[in-house]
Amino acid sequence: MLTVENLHAGYGTSEVLVGVSLEVKAGTVVALIGANGAGKTTTMRAISGMIRPNRGRVLLDGRPVQDQDAAHIARLGLAHSPEGRKVFGPLTVEDNLLLGAYGRLPRFFGFRARAAADLKNIYALFPRLEERRLQTAGTLSGGEQQMLAIGRALMSKPKVMLLDEPSMGLAPIIVQEVFHTIRRLKETGITLLLVEQFAKSALEVADYAYVMDRGHIAIEGTPAHLREDERVLAAYLG
Amino acid sequence: MYTLLIVQLAVSGALMGMVYALIAYGFQLTFATSKSINFGQGELVMLSAFFSLTLIDSGLPYWLVVPGGMLFGAVLGLFVERAAVRLSLEQKGEGWILLTIILGLLGFSAAENIWGRDDRPFPTPISSDPLHFFGIDVTPLELSVAIGVLAVMGLVELFKRKTLLGKAFEAVSADRDAAQLMGISATRTIQLSYGLSGLVAALAGILVAPITTVGPTMASVLILKAFSVAVVAGLDSGFGIVLVGLFLGALESLTSFYLGSGWREAPGLVLLILALAVRPNGVFGKASIRKV
Repeated sequence: MLTVENLHAGYGTSEVLVGVSLEVKAGTVVALIGANGAGKTTTMRAISGMIRPNRGRVLLDGRPVQDQDAAHIARLGLAHSPEGRKVFGPLTVEDNLLLGAYGRLPRFFGFRARAAADLKNIYALFPRLEERRLQTAGTLSGGEQQMLAIGRALMSKPKVMLLDEPSMGLAPIIVQEVFHTIRRLKETGITLLLVEQFAKSALEVADYAYVMDRGHIAIEGTPAHLREDERVLAAYLG
Repeated sequence: MYTLLIVQLAVSGALMGMVYALIAYGFQLTFATSKSINFGQGELVMLSAFFSLTLIDSGLPYWLVVPGGMLFGAVLGLFVERAAVRLSLEQKGEGWILLTIILGLLGFSAAENIWGRDDRPFPTPISSDPLHFFGIDVTPLELSVAIGVLAVMGLVELFKRKTLLGKAFEAVSADRDAAQLMGISATRTIQLSYGLSGLVAALAGILVAPITTVGPTMASVLILKAFSVAVVAGLDSGFGIVLVGLFLGALESLTSFYLGSGWREAPGLVLLILALAVRPNGVFGKASIRKV
């Protein structure tokens, strides 16, 4: 569903990614782990078009998208829930969710009716969001904002979802809740690329995993395989 | 009797102040989406007023001239975005500052060549015979300014809150990168904001033209006041802009009565300097304004 081939990207003249290749098969959860600064978030940004890759290819459902801008890639079916959540603070929870489905809703009127069923699904998944649907997103707690960011990404009914550091800055109990949500999404058959610094939790939920180091993929394999790997054990699961 | 005079002056001035508010609102619209403004906005106001005058001369009824002039302003706004703003934003540069000023100068020369240098009256069917409210005289013309300003600002705000496109507009203002990830094109949204900005600026020109007359320099003072209002109120509060506009208008009117009409432009500039010194984000502002 999502294939990344020999991706090179960076900021200005400094290249952060030096040949990243990975694959996310339809209906699987793939974890991307690695130390801070290894290039995990940059990989996500290059896939979704927030930065333009210098070299390499990104195939979404077999279609090369590496030259498209982020808005266009999103409309082709890639939802990226970015690092730091990036909810629209001044807008209400419900407006945030509606904007998640922007690509497939009418621009002026009737969008609320068209999105009603999908909103209901999201609220079933995150009852807290329904309670706060008319509150502005900026007033939510960190955990709620993360739920909103995930819900907003789901609203587009993506072919592939990128989820960057959902546990960032959250209390341990909330982190558990986030992973519980990811497991539930997995049951629904979502195709997900997950970046996490909690490698252990990420490996528990993933079908396959890549370990990044200094801008490229150092190790890859099934979680069971990676747990046996001494390098992974020493560096990330210790 | 004396208090009544003061109130009368304040009210007349405040109604004029609504025009400043409307032009300042046009600055807000583009600043919200792109963190850029059109420094040639005054020329846009003036060109739209001239164009509307031409429509009137060609025999079009007033109720068609208003939307026609506004449409012209919107097209000019789109042109400014395409010609002067887009490239420099893509390069994350500040080239738009100089380019919008240059476009404004070109517009000024064009107006002088096409319509001449003289100030011309702008005929309007709206009467200038005063109505009396509690001893205060207000002309329907002055009222039409206030009503027009509030109506168009209200409509734009309604658009932003009630339509998905409007919410997308707000999303781009709040976080451009995240908005792009939702499939919202920032470029198109910025385009839209320049179109709307041109539209409201044109309306400001049409509303004020019967009072100030139409000439190439008609907006040069106006635009300075609008800048003051935008900076004093902050570039993100529509409500604040109306309030500051009313206040500045009233203050000007009173200043010119007490100190002489030569001092008319002083309050706007003093307020501007005070605001920059004490509250650079504006009285009602939240976000930090990048000074250019």
